[in-house]
Amino acid sequence: MTAAAPIPAPRRFGRVNWIGLVTFASRDMRRTLKTYRYSLLGPLVSNMMFLAVFHLALGDRVWGLGTIGFGQFLVAGLVVFAICERAFETAAVSILYDKMEGMIWDTLMAPLSPLERTIGYTIGAASVGLLTGTIVLAASLLFVRLPAPDIPLLLFFAATGAVVLALGGIIAGTWAERWDHQSAISTFLLLPLSFLSGCYYPIGGLPELGRQLIQLNPVFYIVDGVRAGLTGFHEGSLQIGAAVLPSMAVVLFVLVHRLIRTGYKVKP
Amino acid sequence: MNPNASPATPLYSPPGAPVVRRLGRVNWRGLLTLYLKEVRRFAKVATQTVLAPLVTTLLFLAIFVLAIGRSVDSMGGVTFMEFLAPGLIMMTMVQNAFANTSSSILIAKIQGNIVDVLMPPLSPGELTAGFALGGLTRGLLVGFTTWGAMTLIVPINMHAPLFVLFHAAAASLLLSLLGMLGAIWAEKFDHLAAVTNFVITPLAFLSGTFYSIERLPEALKIAAHLDPFFYMIDGFRYGFIGHADGSLGAGIAVMIAANAGLWLLIHRLFARGYRLKA
Repeated sequence: MTAAAPIPAPRRFGRVNWIGLVTFASRDMRRTLKTYRYSLLGPLVSNMMFLAVFHLALGDRVWGLGTIGFGQFLVAGLVVFAICERAFETAAVSILYDKMEGMIWDTLMAPLSPLERTIGYTIGAASVGLLTGTIVLAASLLFVRLPAPDIPLLLFFAATGAVVLALGGIIAGTWAERWDHQSAISTFLLLPLSFLSGCYYPIGGLPELGRQLIQLNPVFYIVDGVRAGLTGFHEGSLQIGAAVLPSMAVVLFVLVHRLIRTGYKVKP
Repeated sequence: MNPNASPATPLYSPPGAPVVRRLGRVNWRGLLTLYLKEVRRFAKVATQTVLAPLVTTLLFLAIFVLAIGRSVDSMGGVTFMEFLAPGLIMMTMVQNAFANTSSSILIAKIQGNIVDVLMPPLSPGELTAGFALGGLTRGLLVGFTTWGAMTLIVPINMHAPLFVLFHAAAASLLLSLLGMLGAIWAEKFDHLAAVTNFVITPLAFLSGTFYSIERLPEALKIAAHLDPFFYMIDGFRYGFIGHADGSLGAGIAVMIAANAGLWLLIHRLFARGYRLKA
């Protein structure tokens, strides 16, 4: 008779399960890198198309840009659109896919606290968004020169924006029960918010009412802040943006933490 | 027993027992059923397949309206908005025609229920027609809806309705067939995404949808004339504004030839069972 293998001792961890958190947070990035054709090259190509098309169609028709060119103006919009879309979709699809396929139990059963899961989902999706944004920016630099970017400002707005959209994506993915629901949110909420945010055109030419409405759109502050970081040109108040976005991130984070803790639409 | 006797025709069948249905040269009922299956498939999720493209297209229109503001200069002899509207309608039509056939066939292949269309008594010709007409229907429906919504926002005149109709139908059919080709070839969703991202989207975007190709550098202008997507948007736009960048006759010839060539190719693929039958 062979001796029974000694029973492994349960792993002990302190207040934070660091290994679990890192594993969990890197999951969405690994998934993205594995399907890079679809999840990284796709957005890259479509954003380069937008750059070419808007430039050819609108290049010399847009007014109110001051000293920067339309190409420079546009790059910030493309980068932010890529960040927002990918951060939101990554979080939403990650949760909804797991729910639909029944794999969500793998994350619920792992020794991760609600706080660790919230942080993990947020960091995972936000970093996918930022990676896509970086790729789009790098490709745009082949066509457009950006003389004096303000890196800290750029990073602050890009990162806060990615976190806000990732948290929004977690809520969407948690709430949705079918793919229909998720795609309805993308089409009827995320796309209008992104397209009507001054991504691709200066809001200076709009009527007063339009300008005020756009300033209620949080994506506007992300675009404006990132654009200030890339080109120095901005149309709204950076202070308001620097106040609005972090507070939104905090409120959404608390809400998402609560949803994950109570198991809303996830646990029976 | 005569080995040549067809097993499907027994010498005697009891009264009331079902007999084998006889089909003529065309299995009309089967074709109609396949077509209706394709239409019902997208109609069931009309929010995603009709309403969503409408919203996306109107948002594109909004971007251009907002970006240009009160600037009134013209492109191709009409205001920029009149120039742009047909391009947007055409873009959404072709994207949806492509999406309809490609998703239908690829999902069926991956989930294994493609046998449900391969086993019934449908000839390769009937399969080709059923799928292609389904995509054509979605393309035209989305195009018509978008056109209806746009007329509320920008003034759209129609200069030659027959040109509009011909190019709308020819373009939707062409993209339906391309969608079938892509999905028959693809083995994973990744493959189809690659076709969409690297072939369909660039061809659609760079074909003069949003700008007159007169604005392109000389080398790209020649490239645009080689792009079949250029002819469908150019002829379609001519039907609305009465101005074309390229030759109208060449456009019609290219559309008919491309559709006929692709139709024959798909027919052949179905007949051989390429990547469909084991």
